[in-house]
Amino acid sequence: MNYTPEEKTVIYAAAVKGMNNRAGLAAVRGGDAVRHLDGEEEKEVSAYTAMLEKRGIFIVTFLSDDYPESLRNASDPPLILYGAGRRELLKRRKLCIVGSRITPPWAEKFGKTLSAELSEHFTIVTGLAEGGDAAAIAGALAGGNLISVLPCGIDVCYPAAHTALKEKILEKGLILSEYPLGTGTAKFSFHARNRLLAGLSEGVLVLSAGVRSGALITAGRALDYGRDVFALPYNAGVSQGAGCNALIKAGAYLVTEAADILSVYGIVSKEKEEPEAEGEEGRILQYLREQGEVHVAALAEALGMRIFEASAALSALELKGLAVKSGGNKYSAL
Amino acid sequence: MIAKIICYALSGLEGVPVEVEADVNKGVPSYEMVGLPDTAVKESKERVRSALKNSGLLFPMNRITINFAPADLKKEGAAFDLAIAVSLLKASEQLLGADVKDIVFLGELALTGDIRPVAGLLPILISAKSHGYTRFIIPAANAEEARYLGGAEIYPASSLSEVVGHLVGMRPIPPLELKEFVPGRHKTGTADLKYVKGQPVARRALEIAVAGGHNMLMSGPPGTGKTMLARCLPTVMPDLSFEEALEITKIHSVAGVLGEEGIVSERPFRTPHHTATTVSMCGGGNRIVHPGEISLAHGGVLFLDELPEYKRSTLEALRQPLEDGCITISRAGGSFTYPARFMLCASMNPCPCGNYGSADRVCTCTPAEIRRYRRKISGPLLDRIDLQVEVDNITYDDLTSSEVREDSAAVQKRVNEARRIQRVRFEGSSIHTNAEMGEKEIQEFCVLTREGDKILRDAFERMELSARARARIIKVARTIADLDSSEQIMPKHVFEAVSYRLFDKV
Repeated sequence: MNYTPEEKTVIYAAAVKGMNNRAGLAAVRGGDAVRHLDGEEEKEVSAYTAMLEKRGIFIVTFLSDDYPESLRNASDPPLILYGAGRRELLKRRKLCIVGSRITPPWAEKFGKTLSAELSEHFTIVTGLAEGGDAAAIAGALAGGNLISVLPCGIDVCYPAAHTALKEKILEKGLILSEYPLGTGTAKFSFHARNRLLAGLSEGVLVLSAGVRSGALITAGRALDYGRDVFALPYNAGVSQGAGCNALIKAGAYLVTEAADILSVYGIVSKEKEEPEAEGEEGRILQYLREQGEVHVAALAEALGMRIFEASAALSALELKGLAVKSGGNKYSAL
Repeated sequence: MIAKIICYALSGLEGVPVEVEADVNKGVPSYEMVGLPDTAVKESKERVRSALKNSGLLFPMNRITINFAPADLKKEGAAFDLAIAVSLLKASEQLLGADVKDIVFLGELALTGDIRPVAGLLPILISAKSHGYTRFIIPAANAEEARYLGGAEIYPASSLSEVVGHLVGMRPIPPLELKEFVPGRHKTGTADLKYVKGQPVARRALEIAVAGGHNMLMSGPPGTGKTMLARCLPTVMPDLSFEEALEITKIHSVAGVLGEEGIVSERPFRTPHHTATTVSMCGGGNRIVHPGEISLAHGGVLFLDELPEYKRSTLEALRQPLEDGCITISRAGGSFTYPARFMLCASMNPCPCGNYGSADRVCTCTPAEIRRYRRKISGPLLDRIDLQVEVDNITYDDLTSSEVREDSAAVQKRVNEARRIQRVRFEGSSIHTNAEMGEKEIQEFCVLTREGDKILRDAFERMELSARARARIIKVARTIADLDSSEQIMPKHVFEAVSYRLFDKV
């Protein structure tokens, strides 16, 4: 991989001198750091980039052509980003989808569907955690328009259980991090990563957030940077969605379908054919839409069906992607 | 004079004939035992001496040799006491005129001369009968156990003097009366589905599980009645046949856990605690290889409460018996095969705090904790559990549906019908239930309509299910169709089966 002389000076300052921070940024912005490297320094940079290249990792610097514009306009962008995977995704329009690690099943399913639809128009930016992040990944992974930003070095996998998932993202999408190889996670690095999620994206969709969720930090940074904030609505009193509702109260866009987001950016979504339910299944779906979350026995009782017939029909609806099972044998419509 | 008496030793579930020979010679008084007796058999010397004395009989003060044949078989336990005593009496000419030929003597002696019960009497009687022996003298305390064995003269005796009185013809013991086997005669438990509040989904899963012989796993918050449901399993299972009851009784007899009624007339329900060791679960032991919990659950239910709390190695050991329906235990003393065709029923909480997935209570576990908790159950074991069902913590007092107040008998009726269909289907093969079907049988008996097949294919793609999960779902669907008396598996049967795969969904 060829780096321009300017890029090399930034890599020297950020990676070799360890100034991938505000001080380094000020130096680069002020032009102090952009100077000619002498032979010794040049060699160090080449050795470092060659080592990374061998492992399939590239560096995007603040002065690179494809450094995301949205991030450059943020108040505290990193000088360099380490990346692995499809570099061209950096230039596309980006939208962030995040959610708490504890996300109710319906929100996960719904988030996955939204992510899949949105990824046709945007590159989806998210983390690598369970719950909301995993839902966003699951939706966008098929198309490959996906950037996952890590709070640790690219070679570290946190949570370790997502190692296989990370491999898949490397294959189809892009993984970014501002930390050098081998850096573990720290409390602050999650917050710092959340600023990247917000900085990279035109908008942030929050799938689930408790009152103290990290997803709210991402949303907060998005507001700082002047980006749009979207949130799923929740029932009053559901703790996993209290943060989402608070965002909506404060003026975030309420999202019930992908078009709610796309219309903000002037994109007309394609009419897609819904697999529709007929007969018994249709009746059940109708009831679910009216009642919200319903226990299978209560549903069977209300519609005058046998309970196991209702289970079968609900299972069919679930397979068609029209309903979702949450805990305790309860179902809700999507 | 030499006397020869027949006794029996146990080897696994089989009885092995042992001849006890006694020789009383003139000479310096001594008392020798040869023929590979173990410590418990050697100790019988003193028991027999005291028992004879305290029964008013004479212990011969001569040179005594007792021999056990065949000499290469290790003799264990105290069941030889009575045979030794009778052989001594015979050899010292205290049983003049008594006919002891072809009588099998079994029993342990107390110092007073009373006869104590022995473990494993029924398997011994069954083996001896097949060897051609028809007359037995057994401990009176074991009488109930022997009552169901037809075609033999069995004399229960409670003391050595009764045996002598019987043999010399002074006070003959009346032979044991045969008893008719009635399944479930001694209903001990109070478990019945009519006492289970609500739980419509789990109830149905339970019915399917029993109908098709599937294993099941219940997941739900603490205090939702998982154990209560599991206890109802034996009550909806088909009644025991006499042959099954005998087989189960044999195992329980060998293990020494047979109750007072003498025969197991109800399907066993075993609940080993989660601290159980692998040996206690699968069977084993130093000298005598005892059957483990899985063999004691043969023909019934093995209930593992709080599945993730069991030791991993113990759970993994269950995998092979779950497939084969028996377990072979190999020890230095030989290898023994015990039957272990049981239905596995397990329960677990959805997460360490128990509230994961609950709508009204908040789960305080981190995703990593939940993962660690679930990872305790290995994929291969989970794979062998066809039905995974959620038990919820809501009671439905106001539900009017009759389905939630049915009693066990009503469910058992439907189960019996489904089992009858399966018996016809698997006639002439070694398979009994749908759960035991292999790939070949699935292709033969689980034909889907073309339309149904297409729906399935789409569904599986959407749910990202593995091929193995697919086979499990089809087997359960077959059982649901049987309960519905439907020749063909309809899409609705498959859909219902899919709803019982809790841990397959991604």
